[in-house]
Amino acid sequence: MRDAGFIIGSYLITLGAIGAFAVRTLRLGRRLADSVPDEDKPWL
Amino acid sequence: MAVSDAPDLTPRPTAERSRRSGRRILPIVVLTLVMIAGGVIITQALSTAVDYYCNVDEIGVRSGCDEDRRLRLQGTVAEGSVVTGTVATIFDIEFNDVVVAVEYEGEPGGIFRECLPVVVHGVFDTESGLFLGDRVEVKHSEEYVAVNDDRLSEAEAMACQPSA
Amino acid sequence: MTTITPQSLEVPARRRGTGTRATRIIGLATIVMIGWLAVFGLLISPADRDQGDSVRIMYVHVPSVWLAYLAFIVTAICSAIHLFGRRHSLGVDRVAGASAEVGVVFMAVTLVTGMLWGRITWGVYWQWDARLTTTALLFISYIGYLAVRGLEGTRQQRARRSAVIGLLVVLEIPLVHWSVRLWRSLHQEATVLGTDLDVSLDGLMLFSLFSGVVAFTLLFIWLVLHRSRMLTMIDLAGERALDEALASRISEGGEKRA
Repeated sequence: MRDAGFIIGSYLITLGAIGAFAVRTLRLGRRLADSVPDEDKPWL
Repeated sequence: MAVSDAPDLTPRPTAERSRRSGRRILPIVVLTLVMIAGGVIITQALSTAVDYYCNVDEIGVRSGCDEDRRLRLQGTVAEGSVVTGTVATIFDIEFNDVVVAVEYEGEPGGIFRECLPVVVHGVFDTESGLFLGDRVEVKHSEEYVAVNDDRLSEAEAMACQPSA
Repeated sequence: MTTITPQSLEVPARRRGTGTRATRIIGLATIVMIGWLAVFGLLISPADRDQGDSVRIMYVHVPSVWLAYLAFIVTAICSAIHLFGRRHSLGVDRVAGASAEVGVVFMAVTLVTGMLWGRITWGVYWQWDARLTTTALLFISYIGYLAVRGLEGTRQQRARRSAVIGLLVVLEIPLVHWSVRLWRSLHQEATVLGTDLDVSLDGLMLFSLFSGVVAFTLLFIWLVLHRSRMLTMIDLAGERALDEALASRISEGGEKRA
C-alpha cells in the first residue's frame, strides 16, 4: 500500500480522538455517579 | 385599601400572550434573515476573490486573471507533454483548447500525472512566455473508479477529458 | 473485641453512571461496525484509479463530516425546542450541548483526516480555498458555541444564550456544503450528496462508505446519550452542592443567633 503511514494514521487518529473522548466521558460519568442519587437520574 | 384598587391578577387574554411570544420570536427571525442576507452578499460580492483559480482560457479575459500578476492556473495536464529534467519539470496544461506551457522547478507532488486537472501557482515569464510555477496541486475529481475495474475504464483513464 | 455483623460486611452499593442496557447494546454494535469498517476500508475495498490507496481515507473523512453536520443540526433542533417550546426544557438544552461537543470532535477528525488526504492527492496539507476555509470557520463557530455554554449565569440563561447561537451557526452548514459549487475550490465536489443524485462511486467503495456512515452514526448516538447524561449529572451535582452550602450557612446563622 502506497502512503500507508498517512492512510493508517488517519484511521488511528480518528479512532484515537473519538476513543479518548468516549473514555473521558465514561470516566467523568462514573466519577459524578456517586454525587447524584440514582432516583434523580431520569435514564435509570 | 379598597378592593377595586387591588392589582388585577386575572390571566391575560390569549391575544396578548401571543403578541408577547411574537415579540420573543421577532429578534431571532430578524437575526436569521440578516445572516442569510449576509451570506448572499458575501457569496455574490466575493465570488472572484474567493475563487481559488483561473482557468487557462481566462487569462487576460476574466477579472483578476491578468497576465502580469501572480496567478493560480487550472487546467488538465496535456497527454504526452510531461518532460522531467534534473532541475525542472516541463508540461502543458489545457482548458477549452487553450494551452499554456508550464515550467516547474522540481517534481510535482500529490498524484500528479498526465490527464489530471492541476492548479499551478506562479507567474508568466514575459520573455519566454512560459508559466513559471512554484507550486503544483492536483485537483482530482469527485469520481471514484476501482483501479482494476476493467479494461474499458483503464482505456478511459488514459484518454484526457476536460475538467470542470 | 469488635463484633462482626452481617451489615458491617456489606459493601456500599455503587451508584450507577451513564450506562444503561441500551447504551451497552449500541456500544457493542459500534465496536463491531468499526471493526467491519476497518476491514472493508483498509483491506477489501479497491484502490482508486487516480488516487490509489489514499481513497481509503474517504471512509473515515466523509462519515465524520456528515456526522458533524448531523450533530450540529440536532443541536439546532434542540435549541429551537428549548426556545420555542412551552417548558423551555433544560433536558433538551443538555442534548443540544452534548451533540455540539460530539460534533466538534467529529469536525476536528474531519479536518485532520482531510489534511492527510490532501497531502497525498493535492500535494499540500492545507490551502485557504473556499471549502477548507468555511469548514475551519464552522469548527471555530462551534468552539465559540461551547465557550458560550461555559459562561457564568443560571442554567436557563445558559440554555437561552446558547440556543440562539445554535440556531444561527447552523446556517453555516449549507455554505460549507455548497462552497464547492458556489466558488472554484481545490476540493472536489460532492460525490454522494450532490445535486444531480448521480453517485460516481464504485460499488465496493460505496459499500465501505456506507459501513463508515453506519458505524459513525451508532458512535454518535452512543456518545450523545452518555454525554447528555453526564451533563445532567454535572447540573444535578451543582444543585446539590449549592443546597448543601445554603443549608450549612442557614444552620451557621441559627447557631450564632442562639
